[in-house]
Amino acid sequence: MTIRAATVQKCLVPAAAIVAWESLGRAALLPPYLSYPSSILAALWEVTADGELLQAVSASLFRVVGGFVIGTAAGMIAGLAAGRAPAVRNFFDPLVSFLFAVPKIAFLPVFLLLFGIGHASKIAIVGFSCFFPVFIASRHAVMSVDKVLIWAAQNMGTPRRTLFFRVVIPAAAPQLFAGVRISLAHAFIVLFAAELIGSHAGLSELIAEGDDAARFDLMFAGILAFAVLGFAGDRILMAVRARVLKGQTLGTEEQVVS
Amino acid sequence: MSARILRLVAQWYSIPLLLVVWQLAVSSGLVESRLLPSVVSVWDTLVAQVGDGTLVYDAGVTIGRALAGFALAAVVGIPFAAAMARSQLWRNLFEPIFFFGYPVPKIALFPVFTYIFGFGTPSKVAFAFLECLYPIVVTSYLGFRGVETRLVWAARNFGAGRWTVLRRVVVPAALPSIFSGLRIALPVSIIVVVLTEMIGDSIGLGYYITVWGTRFTFQNVYAAIIIIGVCGYALDQCLVLVQRRVVHWQREASR
Repeated sequence: MTIRAATVQKCLVPAAAIVAWESLGRAALLPPYLSYPSSILAALWEVTADGELLQAVSASLFRVVGGFVIGTAAGMIAGLAAGRAPAVRNFFDPLVSFLFAVPKIAFLPVFLLLFGIGHASKIAIVGFSCFFPVFIASRHAVMSVDKVLIWAAQNMGTPRRTLFFRVVIPAAAPQLFAGVRISLAHAFIVLFAAELIGSHAGLSELIAEGDDAARFDLMFAGILAFAVLGFAGDRILMAVRARVLKGQTLGTEEQVVS
Repeated sequence: MSARILRLVAQWYSIPLLLVVWQLAVSSGLVESRLLPSVVSVWDTLVAQVGDGTLVYDAGVTIGRALAGFALAAVVGIPFAAAMARSQLWRNLFEPIFFFGYPVPKIALFPVFTYIFGFGTPSKVAFAFLECLYPIVVTSYLGFRGVETRLVWAARNFGAGRWTVLRRVVVPAALPSIFSGLRIALPVSIIVVVLTEMIGDSIGLGYYITVWGTRFTFQNVYAAIIIIGVCGYALDQCLVLVQRRVVHWQREASR
């Protein structure tokens, strides 16, 4: 019985918000730009049926996944190397500590000129943004691996390669995932801004189109699709993590401290 | 002495090295100076634009907005997190919103916020607030929840009241987590404000970057990027300084 009361409480705020939104929106008590849920769902169905949504989602997805994969891979390789080799660390540290606080989107004009307004510039700017959180997390993860583990392995004659792949990487894995998770969140934020400023294709365009045409239900349909995409990406990453690292909670909801 | 200088060089050489390579690439004509302005011209622009106050004004606008959103998020978020950690009802009511909302890219709400809050400062501050609120609430909530029950019991046992327990035991124990939440949120606030200024505004560093970027005058873009980098670095260092003063016991404990 107590469990059911808790469930009711958990659903209360979202449910109340949706009901209030729907009824006030239908009664035209809300400003028109807020639309209301049922008409948003209808608009979502409309764009799904005519294929516009699929086209927008696939364009956005291609960019975000491309940039995320490239940036994360580069950040992880550089970060792992920096964690192990002082020379690499000394090279990257000043650059990263300066550039980390800069919104990478500020480089968008430069990237637009270099790569044009198509896919390439978006992938580049998303990748560039993803590099930094992954680099910082990986570098930190490798450096905070328990020295005793490394010494124990070395003592048993483990070669350097094996040491790296069998001891350092597994010990650092939870923090590596934490970095990747932050970079995924950055990827979506940067993608949205890059699409809106630099080009006219993808989900941001769908949202902007709905906005321009005063079709606010369409605008919210785009926003909803974008939110679902970001949420789903995070859930997929967490599912992979749960498979790879059974029983570890560092870097998940229980421990989001970066 | 010379060993210290050597270490300093070993730690910081990459920035001057990069600048030299950059300058050489441009002045040798290897890279078109239209694409990549020379270091010297960026420096000149930076000095001129800071000197006549243009960049100072825009930086003031951007940093002011970012800090306003950040401070609001901290003031609202930390007590909220404490309430969520201490009361089952609050936890049930609001936990789903924060934990499901955390990975959702909130930036997509940009057009809606512009309608509600207008085009200028309020919508930027509101966005910075929203994006900062999530990391602050989630990390401080976990900090508050992670306070050892033993400590609370011990304090109660010594006759401390609810309020004293909160002030003298719970808050200090949660402070390290609160600060790590704040350190995640601070750069986020700057990023969000610059980003939204780039999408649409008529003042601020984000606007400055878009304007000069569309004119292909990249000296100014790089000058603005340098200003943002310096401000972000300085603000983060300020926060670290405050953290060291407030949570002075943590450093010894973690060593």
